[in-house]
Amino acid sequence: MRDLIIIGSGPAGLTAAITAAEHGLDILVIDEYLKPGGRLLGQLYEEPGGNWWNGIEESRKLSERAGALGLDIRLGVSVHNIEQENGSWLVYTDRETFEAKSLLLATGAAEAPVAIPGWTLPGVMSVGAAQVMTNVHRVKPGQKGVIIGVNVLSSAIAMELHIAGIEVAAIALPKNNRVNGSAAIPTEVMNALLHVSHMAPSAFVKMGSKLMKNEFMKKMGITFYPKNGVRMWDIPVMLRKAVIRIEGTDQVEGVTLATVTADGKVISGTEEVIGCDFVCIAGGLYPLAELAALTGCPFYHIDELGGSVPLHSEDMRTPLDGLYVAGNITGIEGAKVAMSQGKTAALSIAKDLGKDIAEASLSEAIRQISSTRSDAHIQFHQDVEVGRRKLQEYWEQHATGKRNILV
Amino acid sequence: MTDRDMIVCRCEEVSYGELVDTAGQFACNSRELKLRTRAGMGYCGGRTCRSSVDAIALAAAERDNTQITLKYQPPVRPVHFGDLGAISND
Ligand SMILES: Cc1cc2nc3c(=O)[nH]c(=O)nc-3n(C[C@H](O)[C@H](O)[C@H](O)COP(=O)(O)OP(=O)(O)OC[C@H]3O[C@@H](n4cnc5c(N)ncnc54)[C@H](O)[C@@H]3O)c2cc1C
Repeated sequence: MRDLIIIGSGPAGLTAAITAAEHGLDILVIDEYLKPGGRLLGQLYEEPGGNWWNGIEESRKLSERAGALGLDIRLGVSVHNIEQENGSWLVYTDRETFEAKSLLLATGAAEAPVAIPGWTLPGVMSVGAAQVMTNVHRVKPGQKGVIIGVNVLSSAIAMELHIAGIEVAAIALPKNNRVNGSAAIPTEVMNALLHVSHMAPSAFVKMGSKLMKNEFMKKMGITFYPKNGVRMWDIPVMLRKAVIRIEGTDQVEGVTLATVTADGKVISGTEEVIGCDFVCIAGGLYPLAELAALTGCPFYHIDELGGSVPLHSEDMRTPLDGLYVAGNITGIEGAKVAMSQGKTAALSIAKDLGKDIAEASLSEAIRQISSTRSDAHIQFHQDVEVGRRKLQEYWEQHATGKRNILV
Repeated sequence: MTDRDMIVCRCEEVSYGELVDTAGQFACNSRELKLRTRAGMGYCGGRTCRSSVDAIALAAAERDNTQITLKYQPPVRPVHFGDLGAISND
């Protein structure tokens, strides 16, 4: 029987595989996509200091190291169920069933949609789909697009589309309704953006973050925010306009925008139509933890981590024997954090399987997760550290309660 | 098209209006909302509309932080019946 099966060949899964192989474990990596690298593949942006983070290049480096170690990576294979039986883990796929002593779930994140009338028309896609088409498959998603949802991910991808020579006519808010929630409220969106202002090349937002320390200034900031948006990479970022409808009969033909008040109410009479042939919806990311949820592992909803996450310790163990997690399944963060979590998980697994892993190297790996986190260029949630602390408290409560988990 | 006619669950064709009305009438949590309307119970297993159904229910009932709001059931990907337990005849 194999020592370890890793589900997911993103930055977390691949780094874990490399580390585990270096410690002599017998491993199988499974991924349903056709290339290794996960969400790393689509990433492309400039870091402070002028270095470019090129996800295709980073994925290639990881795959080469995995190749040199002779790792068994099965691509195009979907896992549809997992089960613990007689002390080992069974992994059911659309091909065959695999078995191993331990299991690492590194399945990453999923995208949430936004709800706008017309969102089911052909030509509407998630912003991540546009990223994969453009950067991985090198296919233009269309000639001219509109992005709905103003957040870190959508601005990063808008920039990528711009570099690829695809016109983005606007990035605007979704209209206010029960699904779109605070993503439709200008003041809330402005607030969230101020915390990532270091990413925004727009002088307005950069300057804004210094000026707008108090609520009054924030309110003024959004009140005076130019109605036609502030240009970022030549794309108007509209915090005071919302898409109220996606137009088209058989496919996307345009969107209807309207000016909204600071708390997201549509000002009637301000409607205007912009033509476009594709629309990206960006409702944010949440941890893709469906497989963990099938095992009976306890879960906690933590907003700062992007949703419900399986309970786990700093060293990436879950309360279930032989089950580990790493990467975005543990909370929404950048690729470098995912890598450091993958490494830590592999060390814990090797240790639990009786390999000689010094306590010091494990605690150094844990320390590196925190330092990578605090140096991160991309942060999806401003209070991610608060979220990690909450989770750690749940873990400690759980450990002291010694609550048995029935599988 | 208005918000009310907008489809939220594409597999089971459940509209925003139906979800909001049901959530309001029964003050339901996500699970109950799903069972009453079938939103999230179709072919994709709720992969697309899960967060939207959740958001609508959260406006009517409070979240329990220790529960996944909409339960996951295996198989979590569409699979052929044959792949679930085919018995070959040769
Ligand atoms: C659309 C999108 C864009 C992003 N853009 C950025 C960005 O620009 N910068 C940044 O730092 N971060 C970005 N992120 C965050 C990203 O999740 C992390 O950077 C990083 O890729 C997480 O690594 P991971 O290894 O945890 O997961 P991933 O990289 O997502 O890899 C998970 C892998 O698991 C596989 N998988 C999942 N479920 C199954 C299953 N049931 N069976 C088989 N295989 C399965 C998937 O195919 C995937 O390859 C983005 C995320 C998304 C979703």
